[in-house]
Amino acid sequence: MLLTLQRMGPGRYVLYAITAIAVFYLLLPIVFIPILSFNASRWLEFPPPGWTLRWYEQLFTEEQWIGSIWNSVKVAFLVTASAIVLALPAAFVLVRGKFLGKTALNAFFASPMIVPVVIIAVALYGFALQWGMAGTLFAFVISHLILALPFAIISIGSSLQTFDIAYEKSAMICGASRVQALLHVTLPSIRPGIIAGALFAFLISWDEVVLAIFMATPSLQTLPVKIWVTLRTDLSPVIAAASSLLIGMSVLLLGISALIKRTRK
Amino acid sequence: MVAATEARDTATTELARQGRTLLPALPALVFLFLAFVLPVWVLFLRSFTEPATGLGNYQSLVTDSVYLDVLVNTFFVATAVTISTLLLAFPIAWFLVIVPSRVARMVFAVILLSMWTNLLVRTYAWLVLLQDTGAINQFLMYLGLTSAPVPLVNNMVGVIIGMTYIMLPFIVLPIHATMSTLDPALMQAASIAGAKARTIFFRILLPLTLPGISAGCIMVFVMSLGYYITPALLGGVRDMMIAQLVAELIQKFLNWGLGSAAAFILLFITLAIYFAYVRLVGLVRPT
Repeated sequence: MLLTLQRMGPGRYVLYAITAIAVFYLLLPIVFIPILSFNASRWLEFPPPGWTLRWYEQLFTEEQWIGSIWNSVKVAFLVTASAIVLALPAAFVLVRGKFLGKTALNAFFASPMIVPVVIIAVALYGFALQWGMAGTLFAFVISHLILALPFAIISIGSSLQTFDIAYEKSAMICGASRVQALLHVTLPSIRPGIIAGALFAFLISWDEVVLAIFMATPSLQTLPVKIWVTLRTDLSPVIAAASSLLIGMSVLLLGISALIKRTRK
Repeated sequence: MVAATEARDTATTELARQGRTLLPALPALVFLFLAFVLPVWVLFLRSFTEPATGLGNYQSLVTDSVYLDVLVNTFFVATAVTISTLLLAFPIAWFLVIVPSRVARMVFAVILLSMWTNLLVRTYAWLVLLQDTGAINQFLMYLGLTSAPVPLVNNMVGVIIGMTYIMLPFIVLPIHATMSTLDPALMQAASIAGAKARTIFFRILLPLTLPGISAGCIMVFVMSLGYYITPALLGGVRDMMIAQLVAELIQKFLNWGLGSAAAFILLFITLAIYFAYVRLVGLVRPT
């Protein structure tokens, strides 16, 4: 009776109320910031005295802001491509391989998700300083890739798990070579997993803050780093505009991934 | 003799076969080894060698009251955040199990959106919302609940509000995953047998949901221990947590020895809790 809606009695209204409050709590920042980004007041007064596009204009014209957006885009594309290239063969091994220490290998590939990011960040910071990589695109890509790779492997791996290997074998029985079977039968079937992995790799890189702060120099920053640096001096409304851009990207990519899931069904 | 050679040969070919099987994973393995394992290992060594060889760094971290305060603070925040997320997450998960799937999907969409929104953006939003002139204080004053702004940010209150917000999805999902596998008939049977709702809750629903609750709590607690951005922006100077200490020691004071020792205390605590949990409960697959 406690898990059946009709029989739960008035207690269910308590659940409704708490969930409603939680949904409001979860949505508040995501809705509030885009509204605030059109606020005419320099001091983010609330309610806003007027509306303006000035902060977006500043975001898209000021060299430092627009430059950081481009850096973020470049890094995210490079991370996505590298994550898929590394994760695809690794996922095949983890799902289909029969070897000693498979559980250990699985755990190893997931380990960057367990270690606190700040530790990975300072460790890489030490390396970057030593090898003169600080403030290079390369350093950003390498660091973001560490976090993106596990997601890509898990995403592709779970897709591969549900794919029946018999299809691949029957293609080979019908005369396809191993490579042909992989390219024309298996890969198209696990495409949703690959795309989902790519989307999340992109989003992880695009959103990464902690690693990026340690890899950045004043001359090369990604958008979250630029927000972080600006935040430390003031609460300029340009940050609200930049934040809205980041929120927009999350909404877009999650929307695409939801669409893919639906068409898959 | 011949048998031994044969056995060795099959063992060698078996090893070779396993090696070939592993080959496609090699690029990813090498990458993670060079970019992740090696730097972390070097950092670990530095905690024993800089500025002098020995355990000096660890000694000052566990004896100096400034650093001990940071450690106590870290545990306090992680505990508070775990409790507050659990109190919110349990009813949400319950709600998600009993409502029609159409409604549940909408709530899930909100949870996922919040989870995948930039961490810095969410923290910044709370900074703006909670400041003295922010919307929340304006609202409280408009309602007449307070005449002067309540200090909600640059203190522990701000850190806990912000971190609870960020951690909430990580505990709702495992609790929901466990609760959704329960059979409603079980509770119906108890009810028919004469059990009161209270009894059914405490004797059936709560114990059966416990694996999800513990998995979620451990996840939130451990993740909170290592958080940097949110406490740094929403907390005051006195509310420093260990991840901030690591970052500041290294980036601001260039004290690599002490900074890396603090990092390894954090890593050790994190891994110890994970392994203790896995030993006790077994590996729970994240959903």
